Amino acid sequence: MNAPAGLPSLSDLVVERVGFGIFVVDRDMNVLMWNRFMQDHSGVPADDVIGRPIFERFPDLPRAWLTRKVESVFQLGSFAFSSWEQRPYLFQFDHDRPITGGVDYMQQDCTFMPLMRGRDVIAVCVTLSDVTHVSVMQREREEAVARLREYADRDGLTGIANRRYFEARLADEFSRWQRYGGELSMLLFDLDHFKRINDEFGHMAGDTVLRSMAQRVSGVVRKQDLFGRFGGEEFALLLPCTPLDDALYVAEKIRRTIGDEPIEVQGVIVPVTASVGAASARTGAPDYEGMINEADAALYTAKRQGRNRSVALA
Amino acid sequence: MPDRVFTELQRDALQEIANLGMGQAATRLSGLLNAFIELSVPRVRVVAVSEAAEALREMTGIDGPVAAVRQGFRSEIKGEALVICRSGEIAELGSLVGGRAGDHDEDPYEDHDALTEEELLFDVANALTGACVSSMLDQLGRMPVFSQPGLLGEAIMLDEVFQPGLLAWDVALLVEVNFALEDQRFRAHLVMLMAEESIHVVSRAIDALLHSL
Repeated sequence: MNAPAGLPSLSDLVVERVGFGIFVVDRDMNVLMWNRFMQDHSGVPADDVIGRPIFERFPDLPRAWLTRKVESVFQLGSFAFSSWEQRPYLFQFDHDRPITGGVDYMQQDCTFMPLMRGRDVIAVCVTLSDVTHVSVMQREREEAVARLREYADRDGLTGIANRRYFEARLADEFSRWQRYGGELSMLLFDLDHFKRINDEFGHMAGDTVLRSMAQRVSGVVRKQDLFGRFGGEEFALLLPCTPLDDALYVAEKIRRTIGDEPIEVQGVIVPVTASVGAASARTGAPDYEGMINEADAALYTAKRQGRNRSVALA
Repeated sequence: MPDRVFTELQRDALQEIANLGMGQAATRLSGLLNAFIELSVPRVRVVAVSEAAEALREMTGIDGPVAAVRQGFRSEIKGEALVICRSGEIAELGSLVGGRAGDHDEDPYEDHDALTEEELLFDVANALTGACVSSMLDQLGRMPVFSQPGLLGEAIMLDEVFQPGLLAWDVALLVEVNFALEDQRFRAHLVMLMAEESIHVVSRAIDALLHSL
């Protein structure tokens, strides 16, 4: 549409006000056009940059990369692109989420368009869109997935590993032991007379005891060990590179950690003790489940012998 | 059945158009990459989308995992172009298409001019798509606009590339051409997919072209 002489055309007005960056360069990278978005975000007005090589005012631009990109459009006569996923930004522009964004500069998608006269490319138009929100959303989604994955491995009440995750790790450690040898042990332990605590003080108190004990034990296990809740008041501890003797030593340490100091629940002092069964991987054992069964049998023996003790069969 | 979309005369013309287009594309790509480019004689086929994976397996000889990039193009004739290469082969192109492929572990901010492997894949795909699709549509008097390339997968099977349930059309025009560089093992395959509606436009454009001769 033609505008009256001296007035900008409608397309000029659109280019001026549109919400993404538009600029045009020739084959020598001289700027031919520079819209308002580019001016506002770079602080460089059109008059300062038009007619000059773009690198003069923007020395931080990836020079070889950008030149190559533009040259490819001239040579091929077709579009070229750049996505924030591979190259987060072309220009170091601020974005409008300085607080909540968590990214340094405005994330940008760029399109390099050939401007044709007949079959000749006379210039390249670059459009630049602000996709910071997309990148922020994507990061949030990735974080949410990571959190979900984390929750999937955790026991809801105590926050330690759940049985599914514990068994998966035990299976891994067991295969490693089968292939490379070494030592591998585990403990199964159970809070004594837990049903009585529940009956006497209520389930809420019971939950508090479970949480506190899980926390206490977490504080004494080594970094390479995995502590998990096996179900109910039963817990398990995976001890890689640990022979049975040392496992029994750890068992005693855990038993004392639980039993030496009673716990206070709603103003009432509740004594809690634990029985522990230990087992280790042995030559000829077909699978990790055998280890769990053996630890379970040892735990049963500890209970039968009067509770508040550690037992290893073998 | 699908091959009846075009008459024999139209098929021949389309083959010729594709040949001319690829010839042009090869010239432009050689200029850009400063290397001798071989573009195969394009093979043109109309297939049902459900048979596309099988047709492509047969055309490319690829059975294993592939890296695939898709890119839309639109004009009166619109569709999608896929660039497919064997997984992992892209790294061999490092020294071409400008600069080496950066190491994955490197901070991309450290060296702004180095290309990551993914960026390299997009660049190759985009150059190939741009040159071939533009050249071919140019013969039909259309000037397409392209959309940003997107990664379908870095190691997927051809069956995963064409999931009939996810595609909006039943029939596809496959234009397969493979791209090789002098002294390089790397091969890329370009496939143009067009919906039925666009295939009809192509058919009419061919008629118009034949008339004008």
